[in-house]
Amino acid sequence: MSLLERISNLDRRWIYLLAWVFVLFPLLNPLGLPIPISSDAEKWYAYVENEINDGDVVLFTPMYGVSGMPELFPMTVATMKHLLTKDVKIIVVSFWTEGPLVFNTLLTQVNPEDFGYVYGEDWIRLGYIPGSETAMGSLARGIQNTVAADYVEGRPLNSFPVMEGIETGEDIDIIVSFETGTPGTPEWMRQFNAPYGTPQITGCIGVSVSGMIPYVQSGQLQALMPGLTVSAEYEILLERPGLAVAGVDAVSTSHVYIVLLVILGNIAYFLTREER
Amino acid sequence: MVDIALWTAVFFTLGIYSILYRENPWYRIAESCYLGTAVGYAVGQDLKYIRDQWGGQWSSTSGMILLFAIVSLIGILWYARFNKEIFYLYRWPLAIVVGTGIGMALRTVIFSQFLDQIISQANTPFFVAGDMVTSINNILIQIMVPSVLLYFWFTGEIRESAPMKVVEKIARYTMMAGFGSAYGYTVLTRYSLFIGRAQFLLGIPPNAPEARTAFILIAFIMLATMIGYDLFMKKETPEEI
Repeated sequence: MSLLERISNLDRRWIYLLAWVFVLFPLLNPLGLPIPISSDAEKWYAYVENEINDGDVVLFTPMYGVSGMPELFPMTVATMKHLLTKDVKIIVVSFWTEGPLVFNTLLTQVNPEDFGYVYGEDWIRLGYIPGSETAMGSLARGIQNTVAADYVEGRPLNSFPVMEGIETGEDIDIIVSFETGTPGTPEWMRQFNAPYGTPQITGCIGVSVSGMIPYVQSGQLQALMPGLTVSAEYEILLERPGLAVAGVDAVSTSHVYIVLLVILGNIAYFLTREER
Repeated sequence: MVDIALWTAVFFTLGIYSILYRENPWYRIAESCYLGTAVGYAVGQDLKYIRDQWGGQWSSTSGMILLFAIVSLIGILWYARFNKEIFYLYRWPLAIVVGTGIGMALRTVIFSQFLDQIISQANTPFFVAGDMVTSINNILIQIMVPSVLLYFWFTGEIRESAPMKVVEKIARYTMMAGFGSAYGYTVLTRYSLFIGRAQFLLGIPPNAPEARTAFILIAFIMLATMIGYDLFMKKETPEEI
């Protein structure tokens, strides 16, 4: 059997093993590859920094479960830290079952009290609302009818000062959503953006990017953070390097590995095509 | 002191990744526990929401209590699908959920995902002064989007005309570029997920450093049992000559 045939028939486990090597090596020995700042990261940073004003009501929504955390959690943490440096009202809600679990983990790394935020006065958690898009529409029409009690203390929402004057989707100034799928941006667009004109910025996993770009070009989405690499760029802009920066070397080496495999696979295929 | 939660997390992470070697009991254990925990957690969250709703407003008047009872009854009908004799009852909550969902979506989908996109396309200028890259990008958008839309026009003699053949070719290249982009981003996502777990296994801050010890030990045990079992079976059943 020739070398090319061996490559064509290589046991897939060797490919997996090499994938582990290409990921683990740069994590253990950081290569310090340069991280150029893309326009996506700049737009996201500029929007949070300049367009979200003091007093604005921010709907902060981790719309993913633990399986989406490796890619989305670093940008969720970074954006939360950025928001906490401003004087805004933050309402945390999720339409994904594991959303509250993700936010619990976030609270182990970011303490709003360190930024002067008091629970119930400056921010509040509404927890998880079942019902997907229908629940989103219901929340937009009446927040306090849809959510009977807050997630932490189980008290009626109207007993918290932060909820004063916040009744419907019209009172929300910006949606900051991090998501892996449905419900996600299309549902937000249909239930908040179209009827109330609520602006939105979205952080998403790479798989979703192609579907998100049209919303950015149409101006329906004000900013988009596509995946881990842009998340790393945002951490650099914030001058708070975190998990995304630590992982970006591994992203580069793993992609080099995939490109090498594609090239090798094509060479082997074309050179052995006639024999087949 | 041993962090049991951390060791458990490492065990289940490696258990799931052990499928890369082959189907095995470690993977089965991890998969079953993950699914069971996820479903249990989801049910718990749903029940918490219902409990809060009951305490918050549904228990306030007799009319609301009656409504709550009706809604709960309809909800319970979901479980009729597990019984062949009353299976048909499961269609009622299904019909309500599907009907409500479609109704809610159709109300605004025409604006957010149709009109706004057409307006955006129409407003895209061909040339942007002083910005060559954006100009090229915009020209490509103006050519490619209508081409792809025309590609899915299947009726009429014009379909077979020479200009349409050119349009079809442009559309095919456009879609190939789109699929390529989606594939590239998919690879990014898959690797990002893997990198996140690898950071956890290696104990890279803010993950606990103890995870690295657990990683080495548990990975060794899993690999040793799987490879050892394979070698043992190979010895027991020698290859036919």
